[in-house]
Amino acid sequence: MEYNKVCLMYRNQDCTIDGIRSALGLAVENMYAYGCVMDEPKMEKFTELQVESLEMLRDMEGDVLATKASNCELNDLKPITIEELGEKLRDMTHIIPYGIIKA
Amino acid sequence: MKILNVYRSEPDDTTKKLVEIVGRDRDVDSFDLNVDAPDYDALVDKIFAADQTICWW
Amino acid sequence: MSKSLGIFVTNSDQFKHVMGITKAAKAKGSSVKIFFTWDATKNPKQEAGFSELCKIADDVSICADSYKNMGYNVEDVPEGLDASKMATQTQHGIIIEDYDCYLSL
Repeated sequence: MEYNKVCLMYRNQDCTIDGIRSALGLAVENMYAYGCVMDEPKMEKFTELQVESLEMLRDMEGDVLATKASNCELNDLKPITIEELGEKLRDMTHIIPYGIIKA
Repeated sequence: MKILNVYRSEPDDTTKKLVEIVGRDRDVDSFDLNVDAPDYDALVDKIFAADQTICWW
Repeated sequence: MSKSLGIFVTNSDQFKHVMGITKAAKAKGSSVKIFFTWDATKNPKQEAGFSELCKIADDVSICADSYKNMGYNVEDVPEGLDASKMATQTQHGIIIEDYDCYLSL
């Protein structure tokens, strides 16, 4: 059986929190689900619930990545460059630019 | 593999970079939603003809 | 036989596109399922055409958690939906798994 691979990309804080929830929802449905935090200059520290969501996502072989080192350090996210993200997207069955770009 | 890129706004450099990498060596089409009166009939035809549709920001 | 189409809506300003695409797809004989989440869960209360969309599309549901996060009461089911359509992210999974074509807005 071929499993779907989905990557959601977030470009502002509001999208990120809800978008990670969406990724988790897809992982629960037996998909490989990834999220990528882009652009956001400084994320807020994850709440306990959000840390739990990230751990659950990783337990299901998904992950949340980020393009900014400061965000990776703050919330224990895996770093990725835009070029690496592009290559990763080529392997996805569904690519979801989530929400809007922060004005 | 046929990719359809749909744009909700004018793509910035980040979007352009991702579009370029994802579309490399693939059959690529596009549709601009960021106009006054999009031709939805044409868009649906393009979606049905594509293997994957990506609706960028 | 026309392909089926699933639409995942996250932005409240995309409603006119959701409506336009749904009408065009239905005119081609497609089956259309739509799931509204996050900011787009404002659409049922803010867009006059929402209940019409529910009649045109084959299946419309919204994320109940997001609806609550946007300040609405989940007991206040929007016109055009019934309580069973106040749903979870599982609906997004169904769109991805069971529909031929996928669009996010």
